Amino acid sequence: MATDLTTDSTDRLLDGSDEINKYNFVTKTKGVFRARKGLDADIVTQISEMKDEPGWMRDYRLDALKIFESKPMPQWGGNIGINFQDIYYYLKPTEGQGRTWDDVPDEIKETFDKLGIPEAERKYLAGVKAQFESEVVYGSLEEDLSKQGVIFTDTDTAVREHSDLLREYFGQIISSSDNKFAALNSAVWSGGSFIYVPPGVKIEFPLQAYFRINAEQMGQFERTLIIVDEGAEVHYVEGCTAPMYSSESLHSAVVEIIVKKNARCRYTTIQNWANNIYNLVTKRAMAYENALMEWIDGNLGSGLTMKYPAVYMMEPGARGEILSIAFASQGQHQDAGAKVVHCAPHTKSRIISKSISKNGGRSSYRGLCKVEDGAVGSKSSVVCDALILDDKSRSDTYPYIEVEEQDVQVEHEASVSRIGEEQLFYLMSRGLTEAEASSMIVSGFIEPLIKELPMEYAIEMNRLIELQMEGSVG
Amino acid sequence: MTSTLTRTTTGFTQEAFDDFLATRNEPAWLTELRRNDWAHFLEYPMPSSRDEEWARTDIRPLKLNQFSLPMAPHSETYLSGAESGIDGKGTDVSGSPCLPQTVLAQGVDLGGRTSSLDGYPCASELSKQWAEQGVLFGSLDALVTEHGQRLRPYLERPVVDPTYDKFAALASACWCGGTLLYVPKGVRVEQPFHALSAMSAGPDAKGTDAKGTDAKGTDARGTDANGIDLSRTLVILEEGAEATLLSETASTRETGAGLHCGSTELLIGKGAMLRYVNLQNWNMDAWHFAHQRAVVRQQGTLQWTIGALGSRLAKVNQRVALIEPDAEAQVNGVMFTQGRQHLCYNTHQHHQAPSCHSDLLYKTALQDHSRTVWRGMIQVDPPAQRTNAYQRNDNLMLSRTARSDSIPGLEIEADDVRCTHGSTSGRVDNSQVFYAMSRGYTRQEAIRMIVAGFFQQVFDRISIESVRNALGTAIGQRVREL
Amino acid sequence: MSAYIPAAQESEIPDPGTLLVEVAERLIVLIHAAGHFYALDDVCTHDGGPLSDGPVAAEQGTLACPRHGAQFDLKTGAAKTMPATKATTCHEVKLENGTLFVRLNAE
Repeated sequence: MATDLTTDSTDRLLDGSDEINKYNFVTKTKGVFRARKGLDADIVTQISEMKDEPGWMRDYRLDALKIFESKPMPQWGGNIGINFQDIYYYLKPTEGQGRTWDDVPDEIKETFDKLGIPEAERKYLAGVKAQFESEVVYGSLEEDLSKQGVIFTDTDTAVREHSDLLREYFGQIISSSDNKFAALNSAVWSGGSFIYVPPGVKIEFPLQAYFRINAEQMGQFERTLIIVDEGAEVHYVEGCTAPMYSSESLHSAVVEIIVKKNARCRYTTIQNWANNIYNLVTKRAMAYENALMEWIDGNLGSGLTMKYPAVYMMEPGARGEILSIAFASQGQHQDAGAKVVHCAPHTKSRIISKSISKNGGRSSYRGLCKVEDGAVGSKSSVVCDALILDDKSRSDTYPYIEVEEQDVQVEHEASVSRIGEEQLFYLMSRGLTEAEASSMIVSGFIEPLIKELPMEYAIEMNRLIELQMEGSVG
Repeated sequence: MTSTLTRTTTGFTQEAFDDFLATRNEPAWLTELRRNDWAHFLEYPMPSSRDEEWARTDIRPLKLNQFSLPMAPHSETYLSGAESGIDGKGTDVSGSPCLPQTVLAQGVDLGGRTSSLDGYPCASELSKQWAEQGVLFGSLDALVTEHGQRLRPYLERPVVDPTYDKFAALASACWCGGTLLYVPKGVRVEQPFHALSAMSAGPDAKGTDAKGTDAKGTDARGTDANGIDLSRTLVILEEGAEATLLSETASTRETGAGLHCGSTELLIGKGAMLRYVNLQNWNMDAWHFAHQRAVVRQQGTLQWTIGALGSRLAKVNQRVALIEPDAEAQVNGVMFTQGRQHLCYNTHQHHQAPSCHSDLLYKTALQDHSRTVWRGMIQVDPPAQRTNAYQRNDNLMLSRTARSDSIPGLEIEADDVRCTHGSTSGRVDNSQVFYAMSRGYTRQEAIRMIVAGFFQQVFDRISIESVRNALGTAIGQRVREL
Repeated sequence: MSAYIPAAQESEIPDPGTLLVEVAERLIVLIHAAGHFYALDDVCTHDGGPLSDGPVAAEQGTLACPRHGAQFDLKTGAAKTMPATKATTCHEVKLENGTLFVRLNAE
């Protein structure tokens, strides 16, 4: 039932948008199998069979499909106009996993070149997990990590090779019934990363993975599970880009993270999907005693993003820190935010959100800070700043603060403003054009994100902001 | 006053509504308006937790058929004493022994006062000085008969949308026992007006199951009916007018069920200035549903203070619309909850025109198992450049079992704006308590002082002394030892 | 402090099944599962909304929230799965001559 697939729509690249997207390109893909469009029990069974999965995973998927079908669409956030039957849910691009860089097909290497995977990363090649379409096509894990017992593989492989470990946590943090899109992902997931860091192991450099959506109307449903054992540390970096297509596409990931006692995990995302993509993602971490979970979440692309990374602080001393940056331009709605839930005493959280709306874009911060009964001595601070660059754009702030305990300290502040004229005039008096001055002010505004990124990403981000800002003032 | 009638219909049925209309001596256009909104009331579903606005406020225990439309005023005998004049010395201004004590007008030299019980007017007075200048004040029921043509446009184009939900439709269809304040162009009234909406209390249900009716309490009318108050407040300030209205609600007894479903509409004309105080002080068995909206025109100023102390469950939509340039609104909220009270206040600051200023501060202290939901929104429309808007909600948790939900919000569609919001939740600082106790205060006194300190910031904004005192005293009486 | 209050007839609740009742002005969900009766506050501790429309899993002894799937233990009210992390209040039930009585937990 394998079908040959050739997609070539380079000539349609720039249709439909005058927005600059430096990742506007399409690479020919030779798929070995693409499930037919649509979603039903047959498709789900077929996906499971193609992946040669154990029966429990197939049943899990089928159960999730029923939940997906029974759940209503969310009535809040953005307008979701998806025809679920008009999407391909599974595409397997090449046969098997690339073992070395040489094994990776030229077409895909070309894609990486265009993506501009940083040189630094090639040097490491510690853990490039490139998800091209739905499956990880290349993966190589540096030997010393492997020796230390670190597992860094794609989730499909983990189902086969680390099934006991995976099964213990899979779907425990985000169940299929959590929300409609978590259910969808649970039914049709493919790819994503599985990471296990054994007790006390501290990985010095970021583990990285790139995700791409390529075939037209191709949903991408990666599933990531990260387990950071006691006293261990890991930084995971996820970057997303996608070629422009004329019809709408869907990305709906589920990311589950466990950070055990005294462990640390940082998860960095630079999301730059094309403007016609729905990016509807559920990300949640559980942090145990004295553990630290950090989400760094930059949202630049997509037509509609709805994503609110969460940290549940389950045991005393756990900490959660979330930095959320959103940039919405023409045709974009960034409904991004963060959730922190204090379930245990003396837990601490901090959310910083920065959003920029320009050229008719809409950015919304939507977040939750909940202090549960019993979480005495908890502290939380939430700060949201929004910049509106013109009178066509819109900014919203919807923080939810729920306090069920007495001995707590919860603070929230938000403000919306525009670029100060004095600032602008000052910079222009120093010889900058208005565009340059605005760009500089915006860069300063998102500085808190930039300085948390690995250097090569920081450089990319700055270039991206410059591109986004071009022609925005006039 | 007419004599007491016996109510024959209960619940909010078509038959009851027809009976209700028959008791009203109102112009046809008004009856028509009521019928129209009544149709909406029947048609709309009861709000449920599936509606985002009601997700945190569970009203399934509310049984509308346990309440009845107000059909008849109380007997003259019952209300005797209600006609005594304004004494100017600040004793109980309600003047009637059967009405609850009022608290807002203590020691205040009033320009007029009005009161109602279960939606029927008891007494209304307006000082001659203001009447001569064309001010109208008193029961909306009476004034709409006298000045129907003047009031008609305001009732035909209400600023509270009667189609918003089931409660808005009910309030608009069946309002009864309202308050009207109308101040003509350029008239500045220095003396505050006072309005009391009182409600009787149904049989004491404590210690019985929900179906129990064995309690012996009798309400003000000597019947076993639950209280009902469907009062409507309408304030109209014409260009350049100024006035202060102190409005409060109270139950005749500390226990016993009641239902308030009402609306408040404040129209502040060009350059006009209104100070409006609204104290919700029902007993802990009352249900409170209110839609309130102020519309402020060019250079108009509104200072609106809400005190929320009473009711078993309250769901209030308080909205301020700044519809012309340079309008200004200050909103102050003082909430104190205890027992199993659930108070949900949704506030909305709507900037529709350039260069307006709004500033909202809600302070809440929570005791026992009580819960509050404050949901605020600053909405700035595209034309509203140079908006300056602020909202803040602070919650003081006085018990481990209380819960506060604070949901500030911003929706901004103009770029030249300054919009900020803040929210905090925390507890009484123990070191402050120990310090005060080391200086010879009891623990309870110390906590009272700290709670008073918490509210000081909002009291400082309330420019009417009697209101500050009344709220301060009421809160002080409620604070228990932690 | 509190007494057993009649809440429902045994015959009103299929097995497995739930029934929402009001006991002394509190909303309680009665659950019938594998021949036993249970009573929980009709409150999901995750979002504060009602539980009573959720599915009963008799084998696991849980009631799931209809919105986000958090499961609560029928015997103790404990939260068994995410996204809930706190127990919902659990009450005592007894069956006498076909009538179910509930004794409210003081909390």
